[in-house]
Amino acid sequence: MSANWLIVERRDGAIRRPSLELAAQAAKRGECAVLEVTGLEHSSVVPAVVALATRAEAEKPSLIHMASTPWGRELGARLAARLGSSFAADCTDLRPADGAVEVDRTMYAGKVRATVRLPLPAVVALRPGAFPLADGAPGPKVEQVPADISAEKLSFQRFEPTAAASGRVPLAEARVIVSGGRGLRGPENWKMVEELADLLGAALGASRAVTDAGWRPNEEQVGQTGKTVTPDLYIALGISGAIQHLAGMTSSKVIVAVNKDPDADIFKVADYGVVGDLFEFLPAFNEEVKKAKAQR
Amino acid sequence: MKILVCIKQTPDSTVRVKVASDGRSIDAAGVTWAISAYDEYAVELALEHKDRDKESTVTVLSAGPARARDSLRQALAMGCDDAILVTGPSAETLAPLAVARALAKVIEETKPDLVLCGRQASDDEQGFVGPALAEVLGWPHVATITKFAPADGGVDAWKEVEGGHEVWRANGPAVLTVQKSEKEPRYPSLPGIMKAKKKEIPERDPASLGIDASAPAPEIVKMAPPPARGAGKVIKDGDAKAAAAQLVKLLREEAKVL
Repeated sequence: MSANWLIVERRDGAIRRPSLELAAQAAKRGECAVLEVTGLEHSSVVPAVVALATRAEAEKPSLIHMASTPWGRELGARLAARLGSSFAADCTDLRPADGAVEVDRTMYAGKVRATVRLPLPAVVALRPGAFPLADGAPGPKVEQVPADISAEKLSFQRFEPTAAASGRVPLAEARVIVSGGRGLRGPENWKMVEELADLLGAALGASRAVTDAGWRPNEEQVGQTGKTVTPDLYIALGISGAIQHLAGMTSSKVIVAVNKDPDADIFKVADYGVVGDLFEFLPAFNEEVKKAKAQR
Repeated sequence: MKILVCIKQTPDSTVRVKVASDGRSIDAAGVTWAISAYDEYAVELALEHKDRDKESTVTVLSAGPARARDSLRQALAMGCDDAILVTGPSAETLAPLAVARALAKVIEETKPDLVLCGRQASDDEQGFVGPALAEVLGWPHVATITKFAPADGGVDAWKEVEGGHEVWRANGPAVLTVQKSEKEPRYPSLPGIMKAKKKEIPERDPASLGIDASAPAPEIVKMAPPPARGAGKVIKDGDAKAAAAQLVKLLREEAKVL
């Protein structure tokens, strides 16, 4: 019982970035089989779980890991239950620890950081962005595992796109996030937020006040009952910084906040704060970013 | 439809969580306990269905310490029909997979058509028990849903994914993990609270459920508050254009993120 497995995820023909990050990290650590379950078009995770569990019973890997994307978390949880392995999701680090593995992860919506010891065999889902991916890093050698479609008990009916869907990078994986709050006063003012997001190649985020009001779709919500994110740059526009929001984004590398209220809690976590009127500042900032990008 | 909702009692989301002096648990002093946020959405989704279809019943089930009874009573006051609590000396130390087995045992006895739970608990945020429960039961699951509706003798579930929703159909019993309900969870009504007070909440001891409790237990070895972020630079003087230029300069030259 020694083998390590990495399960990768493919989308639109390419292995997803969070999987590549883990592959690069696994290559540094040594021997690790990189597996991809094929034949999963419009199927639930169960055919993948059954195929992987069958193989695991023969090979007895001590560690199975994957990216903590929505798919990875579901797959990991169900696979761990099937194998009777220990499980941890959304981990930010993973280390061998003397007959076990230790993982770091946040709990209580980011209010607490924990180190957790998992007995082997273990299934671990690691947060996108937890490990760096160098530009031009060689892709992993992937072994394909056919899904066990006979295990499927659900049928896919259709996909209903959200009106605001835009082809932007998914929030949980984005390296840059531009997030808007109630200070924007209404959904009609998101144009300038979107303009900035486009300039920066960023994903859009939102405070809970904004998604609850129906100004933006739920899937953009950052914080407790939304997504926990760790981008390189998080720009909070007109967000006051309720504890539930802060919990979801304080691990970002660089935080920028723009708010009219100099006492807003968001400034307590911001590396760079601008106290001022968003409706004057943001158009000016977009212009400056445009200029800066043009210079490069 | 007979719906069963699994809930967990966790610290209320507005509580400032403090690490206890042992450095590996949270300080329970001053904590207000509540139904975990996503589980509360699950209760609301079930009750919205019951509002539309009076024949439907909603049972709430929890596994945990005795105080979890208060959260079950809260769910009853919101409008759930009955509640079951798995508790006893061993309930607090059950490993996550053993919790799933205990819940599965009660579910096999009560035979609901549909099981709902939150997509993850607000304390450990693992998102394990929902899919694990489905695996133990041998049922399919649909994760992170925002809506469900009966369809052709089964159920359709709207799963939130990047860019929209996938609609999945289960033709038999299924576990759905809830991302969010269409409306915010309702407050208990006064008659609801009175009615809930009188309801018996039967207790089950995990030791008597005949489950395999030998599940691997993750062990928290250290807990700490997130590192404090140093005070940042604040730009507050000058016009918007000057502030914008200054911020771009800082992000480029100092933070190196542009």
